Amino acid sequence: MSEDKFDVIIVGGGPAGLAAAFVLAKAGKQVIVLERGEYCGSKNVFGGILFTGILEKLIPDYLKDAPLERNVTRRGFSLLTPTGELGGGFKFDKFNTAPFNNSFTTLRAKFDNWFAGKAEEAGAMIITGATVDDFLYDTDGKIKGVKARMDDGDILGDVVILADGVNSLLAKKIKLHKELDPKYTIVAVKEIIQLTEEKVADRFHLNGNEGAALEYFGCAAKGAVGAGFVYTNKDTISIGLGASIKSLMEHKLNPNDALEYFKNHPAIAPLIRGGEQREYSAHLIPDGGYDHISKLFTDNVLVAGDAAGFVNNTLFHEGTNLAMQSGVSAAETVIEAGTRKDFSAASLSVYKTKLEESFVLRDLKQFRKTTDALDANPQLFEKYPKMLEELVSELFTPDGEPKWDKEMKLMGKLLKQESPWGLIKTALAMRRVII
Amino acid sequence: MTARIFTGIEDKLGLDKFKAFHKPHLTLEKKDVDQKKLVEEKLFICPAKVYTLNDKNEMVISFENCLECGTCRVVCPEEIGWEYPMGGHGVTYRFG
Ligand SMILES: Cc1cc2nc3c(=O)[nH]c(=O)nc-3n(C[C@H](O)[C@H](O)[C@H](O)COP(=O)(O)OP(=O)(O)OC[C@H]3O[C@@H](n4cnc5c(N)ncnc54)[C@H](O)[C@@H]3O)c2cc1C
Ligand code: SF4
Repeated sequence: MSEDKFDVIIVGGGPAGLAAAFVLAKAGKQVIVLERGEYCGSKNVFGGILFTGILEKLIPDYLKDAPLERNVTRRGFSLLTPTGELGGGFKFDKFNTAPFNNSFTTLRAKFDNWFAGKAEEAGAMIITGATVDDFLYDTDGKIKGVKARMDDGDILGDVVILADGVNSLLAKKIKLHKELDPKYTIVAVKEIIQLTEEKVADRFHLNGNEGAALEYFGCAAKGAVGAGFVYTNKDTISIGLGASIKSLMEHKLNPNDALEYFKNHPAIAPLIRGGEQREYSAHLIPDGGYDHISKLFTDNVLVAGDAAGFVNNTLFHEGTNLAMQSGVSAAETVIEAGTRKDFSAASLSVYKTKLEESFVLRDLKQFRKTTDALDANPQLFEKYPKMLEELVSELFTPDGEPKWDKEMKLMGKLLKQESPWGLIKTALAMRRVII
Repeated sequence: MTARIFTGIEDKLGLDKFKAFHKPHLTLEKKDVDQKKLVEEKLFICPAKVYTLNDKNEMVISFENCLECGTCRVVCPEEIGWEYPMGGHGVTYRFG
């Protein structure tokens, strides 16, 4: 392939890389996507809800044929206690009409492959089974392409967009990203559980194609700093658990053991009862937020999506839309730089400005303290859920004692376990996660 | 529907599709480390139980079971040599 020179080389065929490829191909650029998997999506795992706000701008009629599972009308947020849950959430019928809340449960092996097809139709060249290991440099030490592990794997291009996901070995190779920090990295494990369409609907109180997305905090990860999720697909359930690598190490807990604890929790077990396992997967999530994103550009190179650390891992759990938006912004940056015929770092620096102005970096900035707040308050994951269960269950067990007396007694009990300052500190930390 | 529920990692891996490549993509870089300690104190975290000990307390790396998550890379950046498997090889998710 060394004879050809591309305008843009994209490493990674996930949401970030494919969104970039789509925009560049539409603009008439010669663009190649190199994906290491057998097909796009074959290495990718998420919860997950695909957030389609950006996708819709690229492909307005995506609802016609995108492989989406269910439109999410119900979202639940529960605090798991040792034997139960304290829950909340919402379900709105208005989410049943377009744009469907821009939220769809999805399976990545299907979706990414479909998106790759759209990028190809737009004119991008997609090469799968191509693992990129390194860059190619010209005599001045400037990056002029990449080296893929295959025959004729030296590929030349004006610009390289690194959309190679959370483990971005390439961004680390050129020192745009430091090694991932266990405190700011989540490892998630997930299973696909087969039920029937009818069972999924009945069990989760859904009509037609409605879907539910349930998140579980508190002691979901057997005391480690982490959270569990249950999402409904058409006739399967996505169930999984993510926890900070640092916290799992401290608890000497293997992620699968944490997942088994979650699956067997009395509040969770009935949701998957009688189902058949179909797949087991594992994936990392960058969790450093605004203060740990990578350097976003250098001469001839841009970084997008998880490779840059763009995940809003708060209550919102958004990654796919940040990936797509950053892919689009990277593509627009390259198109503008192309008119100047200048792909130096200075010329590519508008990429950062674009992201600073968009929801990508604005949201990450707003929630920049979340991970530190959770890490500093491990009581949220064991002690507090336990205390809450005790309080609420006693309060809701009528036993002839007047409510006032009971409340005073419980308050005394609570303050024996935790100081008022401890409670306030935790409440403040929680604020970091929500607003 | 009859339920078939696996709880152990080995069984769960049997659900997944793998295409092994002959050359390992995971290696022990620091030969002089205490391999027993490395597995028991750090690499126990692997969600695919790729790292185990044989009866001589040497580390065995079952790289063909790797889910390519990168966790071992994060906890042992020095000790473990980590690269992506050959393109098209390794795990292939059908759901993801
Ligand atoms: C358990 C879990 C739950 C999540 N839940 C949600 C959710 O509900 N909603 C949401 O929006 N987001 C969620 N996310 C986050 C979301 O999945 C990511 O933010 C998103 O996939 C990032 O897209 P990307 O294109 O940057 O990276 P990826 O999707 O990881 O794509 C990177 C691609 O690059 C390829 N690649 C890597 N290295 C190379 C190389 N050297 N050569 C060639 N190809 C390479 C990979 O095979 C892959 O296809 C979740 C993540 C996880 C792990
Ligand atoms: S990459 Fe993940 S699955 Fe593979 S050996 Fe490392 S920790 Fe285990």
